[in-house]
Amino acid sequence: MATNCYVTFPTIFYAIRAESLLKQKDFTFKMVPVPRSISSSCGTALRCACPDLSKIRQYLADHQTEMESFYQLEEDGFKMPIVKELQSDELQ
Amino acid sequence: MNCNKDSVNHELNLYFDNSATSWPKPEAVYRAAELQMRQMCGNPGRSGHTRMLEADRLIYRTREALAALFKVDDPSRIIFALNATDALNIALKGFLKTGDHVIFTALEHNSVLRPLGTMRRNGLITTTMLPCSLEGYPDLEFLENAYQPQTSLLVINHASNVIGTVAPLRKMIESAHKKGVKVLVDAAQTAGTIDIDIADLDIDLLAFTGHKSLLGPTGTGGLYVKAGIDLKPLREGGTGSQSELDLHPKNMPERLEAGTLNSAGLAGLLEGINFIRETGLDQIREHETALRRSLREQLMEMRQITVYGPEEAAECAGSLSFTIRDTDCGEIGYILENNFGILCRTGLHCAPLAHQAFGTFPGGTIRLSPGFFTKAGDIQFLINAIREIVALTEKG
Repeated sequence: MATNCYVTFPTIFYAIRAESLLKQKDFTFKMVPVPRSISSSCGTALRCACPDLSKIRQYLADHQTEMESFYQLEEDGFKMPIVKELQSDELQ
Repeated sequence: MNCNKDSVNHELNLYFDNSATSWPKPEAVYRAAELQMRQMCGNPGRSGHTRMLEADRLIYRTREALAALFKVDDPSRIIFALNATDALNIALKGFLKTGDHVIFTALEHNSVLRPLGTMRRNGLITTTMLPCSLEGYPDLEFLENAYQPQTSLLVINHASNVIGTVAPLRKMIESAHKKGVKVLVDAAQTAGTIDIDIADLDIDLLAFTGHKSLLGPTGTGGLYVKAGIDLKPLREGGTGSQSELDLHPKNMPERLEAGTLNSAGLAGLLEGINFIRETGLDQIREHETALRRSLREQLMEMRQITVYGPEEAAECAGSLSFTIRDTDCGEIGYILENNFGILCRTGLHCAPLAHQAFGTFPGGTIRLSPGFFTKAGDIQFLINAIREIVALTEKG
């Protein structure tokens, strides 16, 4: 069982913008297909360790990068993960 | 005319048609487009695999490079289109509403005249044409009196694709903005050869093509849309985002893009922009201005020739037009290619109103457009060829 956090974006433009900005600053993250358990959109999401999420979110917000939603997933192999959408008070 | 039209020398093939499309391209442009198709060809925005991500990164970098070139803070305000015509259609049809009044210059290309003409004939809009001088300068006094309460848009061709005259953009934009009118700039002939600072000039909408002075492949181009302007999308469809909705996304740039983007073309375009950045816009402009000056001066030496447009080369970009007395310009173009291997364009150049203003309608002109890769020696060869042709016209 692993816990990961995900950021989704309104468009692929902002997903790539996020990747480009974060790469320049040595954040640890990965761009992955949006998990079907959080959205039926066929786009790209950002996956990171949950303790890093708040820093990443702040950095992107400070650099004109629109984000859509934030999730915490309890992932266990191929099983459907347990999904929790994070509200803004949980992202401080 | 006593001319052997069959003596084709294809090996020479001197290219003076850069206003139609630039050639040659920097070597990196060919390589990048091919590499994109051979190795990186994921569908941008879809699928989620690494090739898709590579295609998305490439498109993002191209958008960023264009934003840097045009001094735009937010790259999401630049959307990709097929070419300048496509971008102008997206702008005009997405911006104008029933009852609007539009002012456009006499120098506009059919890519502006035809969409406006259709909307006018359908009773959706009214229009006023801004006349221009023989040298191609729009009448600014006329402009001041042309605004109506319903005027929503002023369309300006940044440089005439017939005679190259560069419009006084800043003055015209300031005039329009004082009246609360937005400005659409057609930069088909200037993007990549004249420094365009969108932020400084306060441009609202700017259409550009990738395959002329930006040195990219055909099928590339785009539109800048100032923040706060929401265009109604001309096309709707797949974007790879918000797929669950039967509603096109509201977020830029996807708002105005639908379907698979031309990633191979955009890979080439990025290299074209990189070439311009590395070479320097100033150097490109300087070279092209020097070629134009030399070309104009030598054409003017022939009394049978009329050259159109401003005398000062620095006030022009791209095209230079001329006619030879009592000759058909199509015939001259044919001889230039078939006897001398020189490629140029003849006729109306899709800008009929401009020719009416210059007195060259309906016969048109012979249009020469050197580019950054044209050499001084090429100009000399061209001038010698024209001298020979002029001598032949004298003999009859």
